Amino acid sequence: MNPLLFSRRRALQTLGCGFGSLAMAGLASGENSPAPLLKHTARAKRIIFLFMQGGVSHVDSFDHKPKLAAEDGRLLDFADLRSLAKTGKSPQQRVMKPLWDFSQHGESGLWGSSLFPEMCAHLDDLCVIRSMHTEGIAHGPATLFMHTGTTTFVRPSMGAWINYGLGSENQNMPGFVTISPSLGNGGPRNYGNAFLPAVFQGTPIGRAGIAAKDASIGNLRPARTQDEARRQFDLLRELNAEQLRQKPGESELDAVLQSYELAWRMQDSAPSVLGMDGESPETLALYGIGRAPTDNFGRQCLLARRLCESGVRFVQVNYGDNTNNPAWDQHSNLKKHGDHAAAVDRPVAGLLADLKQRGLLEDTIVWWGGEFGRTPYAEKNGTGRDHNPAGFSIWVAGGGFKKGVAYGETDEYGHHAVANKVHMHDLHATLLHALGLDHEALTFRHAGRDYRLTDVYGRVVHDLFA
Amino acid sequence: MPKLPPILPVALWLASAPFAGADAGVDFFEKKVRPVLVERCYECHSAEHKIKGGLRLDSKEGWLKGGDSGPAAHPGAPEKSLLVEAVHYANRDMQMPPKQRLPKEEIAVLEEWVRMGAPDPRAEAPMVKKQTGMSLEAGRKFWSYAPVQKPAPPKVAQTEWPRSELDRFTLAAMEHAGVVPAPDAPLPVLARRLYYNLVGLPPSPEQLDAFLKDAAQDRKAAVTSLVNALLASPHFGEAWGRHWLDITRFAESSGGGRTLLFKDAWRFRDYVLESLNADVPLKQLIREHLAGDLLPSNSAAERRRQLASTAFLSLGPTNYEEQDKQQLRFDVIDEQIEAVGRAFLGQTLGCARCHDHKFDPVSQRDYYALAGIFASTRTLFNYTDNVARWIVQPLPAEGPQEELLRQHEGQMAKLRAQIETAKSALAEKAKASSVETTTAGTPLDPSQLAGIVLDDSDAKVVGFWKPSTYVRNFIGQGYVTDDNKGKGEKTLTFSPTFPATGRYEVRLAYAHSPNRAKNVRINILHADGEDSVFVDQTETPLVEGHFVSLGKFRFEKDGAGYVLISNEGTTGYVAVDALQFLPENAQKAPGKEAPGTPKTAKRDDSPQAAARKELAALEAQLKKLSADGPARTQTMAVYDDPQVGDTQIRVRGIERQRGEKVPRGFLQVALVGGQPALPPEQSGRMELAEWVTSDHNPLTARVLVNRVWTWLYGSGLVRTVDNFGTTGEAPTHPELLDHLASRFVAEGWSLKKLVRAIVLSRTWQQAAQAPTAQDPDNRLLSHANRRRLSAEQIRDSLLLGAGRLDLQVGGPNIEGAGDVDANNFSAQNIEYNYVYKDVRRSFYTPAFRNKRLELFEIFDFGNINQPIGQRTSSTVAPQALFFLNSPFVAEQAEAASALTLATEGDAQARLHAACLRLLGRPPSAKETTLFQRFLQTAPTPEQGWRQIHQALFASLDFRYLD
Repeated sequence: MNPLLFSRRRALQTLGCGFGSLAMAGLASGENSPAPLLKHTARAKRIIFLFMQGGVSHVDSFDHKPKLAAEDGRLLDFADLRSLAKTGKSPQQRVMKPLWDFSQHGESGLWGSSLFPEMCAHLDDLCVIRSMHTEGIAHGPATLFMHTGTTTFVRPSMGAWINYGLGSENQNMPGFVTISPSLGNGGPRNYGNAFLPAVFQGTPIGRAGIAAKDASIGNLRPARTQDEARRQFDLLRELNAEQLRQKPGESELDAVLQSYELAWRMQDSAPSVLGMDGESPETLALYGIGRAPTDNFGRQCLLARRLCESGVRFVQVNYGDNTNNPAWDQHSNLKKHGDHAAAVDRPVAGLLADLKQRGLLEDTIVWWGGEFGRTPYAEKNGTGRDHNPAGFSIWVAGGGFKKGVAYGETDEYGHHAVANKVHMHDLHATLLHALGLDHEALTFRHAGRDYRLTDVYGRVVHDLFA
Repeated sequence: MPKLPPILPVALWLASAPFAGADAGVDFFEKKVRPVLVERCYECHSAEHKIKGGLRLDSKEGWLKGGDSGPAAHPGAPEKSLLVEAVHYANRDMQMPPKQRLPKEEIAVLEEWVRMGAPDPRAEAPMVKKQTGMSLEAGRKFWSYAPVQKPAPPKVAQTEWPRSELDRFTLAAMEHAGVVPAPDAPLPVLARRLYYNLVGLPPSPEQLDAFLKDAAQDRKAAVTSLVNALLASPHFGEAWGRHWLDITRFAESSGGGRTLLFKDAWRFRDYVLESLNADVPLKQLIREHLAGDLLPSNSAAERRRQLASTAFLSLGPTNYEEQDKQQLRFDVIDEQIEAVGRAFLGQTLGCARCHDHKFDPVSQRDYYALAGIFASTRTLFNYTDNVARWIVQPLPAEGPQEELLRQHEGQMAKLRAQIETAKSALAEKAKASSVETTTAGTPLDPSQLAGIVLDDSDAKVVGFWKPSTYVRNFIGQGYVTDDNKGKGEKTLTFSPTFPATGRYEVRLAYAHSPNRAKNVRINILHADGEDSVFVDQTETPLVEGHFVSLGKFRFEKDGAGYVLISNEGTTGYVAVDALQFLPENAQKAPGKEAPGTPKTAKRDDSPQAAARKELAALEAQLKKLSADGPARTQTMAVYDDPQVGDTQIRVRGIERQRGEKVPRGFLQVALVGGQPALPPEQSGRMELAEWVTSDHNPLTARVLVNRVWTWLYGSGLVRTVDNFGTTGEAPTHPELLDHLASRFVAEGWSLKKLVRAIVLSRTWQQAAQAPTAQDPDNRLLSHANRRRLSAEQIRDSLLLGAGRLDLQVGGPNIEGAGDVDANNFSAQNIEYNYVYKDVRRSFYTPAFRNKRLELFEIFDFGNINQPIGQRTSSTVAPQALFFLNSPFVAEQAEAASALTLATEGDAQARLHAACLRLLGRPPSAKETTLFQRFLQTAPTPEQGWRQIHQALFASLDFRYLD
């Protein structure tokens, strides 16, 4: 194949016979690569996003508001976003105290509740952002917004943008993987490439509802015996080589042959990444693998670490399901948060400890959070909390972020972010920055204009970096 | 956040300072105001940095003129000034500075400054340049907006090469560049190319053989007659309908946030199929897409076509869950404008939603002129549902069938009216005798009731609820009331544990009495959303004398469903006795009677007994009639809104930020003889459709012929097929484009005539070659492009090779969708749980947006959220894994192998037959040797043959079309 014969557009489509990169692949000379890389050295190489689908209550976990306990049961005026969106008015709401006790932790003295005791033990390593706000009051729009930067339009997922910008570190593995994604609330659009070339889309491993131990990449394992698979591959290799000889000079056909070679190698390398081979009993215990209720999410978190080690840039670990009122969505019976916390707390803490002990936390960002938070008042005066995109908490750890700090504030009830507000667009910009990508320059020309993850918004929150 | 404080009193130190003269005002500005503006506002509102929202705060001129939302300050009137409103965070859509509210002192300074008349000594700072698109005047001269010409075919040197006028345009360009056209494609290659391009399937060995025999006699006549036969095939409409569905972003679910099933969308697909097979002019197709409901019709059949066609406007990836329904309404309008603009006009109109187009001669006014047309059109059922719905329109039937339907519908209406009457009569009777019947009676044991029964004591209680046993026929140990006190402070929440996912009827028992509240609000959170029901507790419960039905809802096993009863806004006592959740289609459990009936059947001897019986009989009659009677078919559609009118510009595209009202109209730059008047009583879609499909519209015909060229050739004369604006590419052969467009219009917008003209050209029939270094993108059209089969062609060919493809033409194809109510949210589970197993052509494969067929995802057909002008063709490892390891491919290889083995002959003959069937050509000598050797070393002959077939499927020549 003569590389000069590759037009750029063709290259974009065919080079990806691997899980290719773009900006780093020496192709950065055409219309779609306005040098998105920052001049400074990136602090982080990869992101693990632990997605708490449905919206964790921040006022029951990381945003301590003593006023809620003091005024529990009082009817007050709150600007309830859902009521305002639907009717333009907001009825009075009843303050609801946290169901978990808050205390200060570690040397940093950061507040955290007994909902997540194990994560709280790591607060000295976390950078808690308490002033998040976002778009979308219902799950679908807000979940799409968190992933793609828009509630409505069909746009590439953040992982696809990062994959487009940085590519995979390992040509035998995809650059963007999502573990057990949900079909609902955006479904495949949450890890889709939209108008970016298909090579940058997220590769799903399993899906919500399938046990993590059965999750795999599609068609990775031969249906028949190893010997038969080998014979099949050898026959095909010879047949294709013969057919290619009849059509010389066609780079795209050559790429197909390469894709078969890569697939064959992936069959060897990927299963060993996806499996748990070589993990010590101590490590399995660290993640809570092998016992209820942490086994499933523990496996997902451990897989995330293994994928990172193999060179994947963006690993999303989903704690969710396929319903319209996903896991953390406690409109009633807020106590159920406790069940979900019991399933994720140990695995998340285990992941942090494991990354740290392996030195991976230095250049790996761990992002924990949901698509929004929950209201500080009881929904319709009941026993749960409604969605709250106006103010909520997430945390990030590693990858150059400050440790043991809390950034930003919500109002005294924890309803609206008021100080050092960080919009979801800002978080996107900041995470890209940490990876060495300029969110304003990481663009793709489509339908006559340049698109980017942050649209015309977004601001890097430099204060978050150590 | 608790309610915003009233405008803060000006701080004391300000009140004591006298500001009489202008100097004092300027002094105040310089000392207090300027620092705030510089530090807090300039970052986003100054010429030096950014001018967000068009607002500058670095000069007096700047804030006087204001930004997109108008002047920022009205001197002397802080209450009217946006600046003051914004810094107070009083408007949730405009809170400035966005990151953090200003300290109270600074807010007070700004407010006082405005109150004192906003003294500001700053002169206008130099203006920064604003990026704007091409002017209208320049735009009308731009190639795509200028009228279509009818250019004369150019002279060429090789006069014997062209077979048609078309060829003279391409040959002239090749000659000019000194490039030689490729030889004609070999006949077997040409046959395979024609079959795939026109009907989406390869020729059978028999068809191939017949064609080759004919062509040996007379090549030209054989090709022409094959082309005519393929154009007349019913499968033409499937292959070309697929293209049309691509640009109209056809799908059978809404996808995105909460995906909903478009159960009737197949009628649109059938409409496209039948229209293209009948060669209905594309002009008419587009007119019916945009305004089918407004067109006159001569028959029921025509009316059905027209209505089904307007589904085009409803098929977008709408986020029905968006909570701000006016925003949703505008999002739908935006999607419609974008879809029309992109599919038929090659324009990126979405850019003008927020501002004038930055490159093209399309203004924000143009956008809202179009928006007015769609805003006057109804696409959503209402603007109040928690999860919105599209519109479903009944379809008329033919004569006698229509008569039958009307009779049936009349009977149904009559019965429904009778039921209503019976219900009110029953309620009246009940009221009259309520005191006696309710204080008497005996308590009922909840364990005697079917389904899940929660007594009042099982609820989560907020506020004081007083236990009572006064009304005797309660369930369990009594009931509770709010004691008619503490309105708005008390709730009861019932959170049952559902043993299984399914639909449940929810019933409330409330110990009725005349002193009860008449408007008790009950919220039900179920798997598909949230509903509110109001109950009048003075009425006698109609179900078994205990319960009132709150409706049927779907709940998920271990899901978050609940029922919440509040005393908010009520007058009178709110009473709660028990809740019952009855699974729909419940099997009668041993020992349990029909749902809701107490085990020890109590004889109903109340005065209402007869009336109740009659009501039950009527309801049963209705149910039977509905089940037995003829059902009217329906389609997704739109209609003109009763309220027709122009719409306002939305500043920066935000629905609530309204600007100037713009008269409805079309794109200024592409008007044909001025803007026609739009009727005040209609949306204007008719006129829009006329303009889009006008023979003189400079865009539509060009865009369409370029699409057809792209579908046949693999790349367009204009490479940016969806973008004919200034950021798109110019045509490689502008005269050829206009030649085809003018001819297409002259021939009545016939797709088949256009396709025939292109495929019979010598240009199209050239052999495929690899790109050359001189012309890597084959812009000179000097050879055919080698192309990978599309995802659907791959699937159909695999099934065909296995002898399993079902060639049935038309009709619906989502298993289980026939029985569900389109607007029933549980229908979405059909998508989530769908198992793709039918073997019909891929044209009919359920087009779910959130759950695609794996093969489609792998071969670049995963995203059907937006119009697809041109499929991408990636080469990625998952495709290789698919051919190596997927059970689907293995099954087809096995079946194909069995077919081959069923033919007579030795290995050589069988290899010949297999290659002809799967690759459209006999095996080469080298391939034969390779296969023979492979067979000899195979553990078993069956395995050997199976693997040969799988290798053929996985080979280059199966996947690529020369």
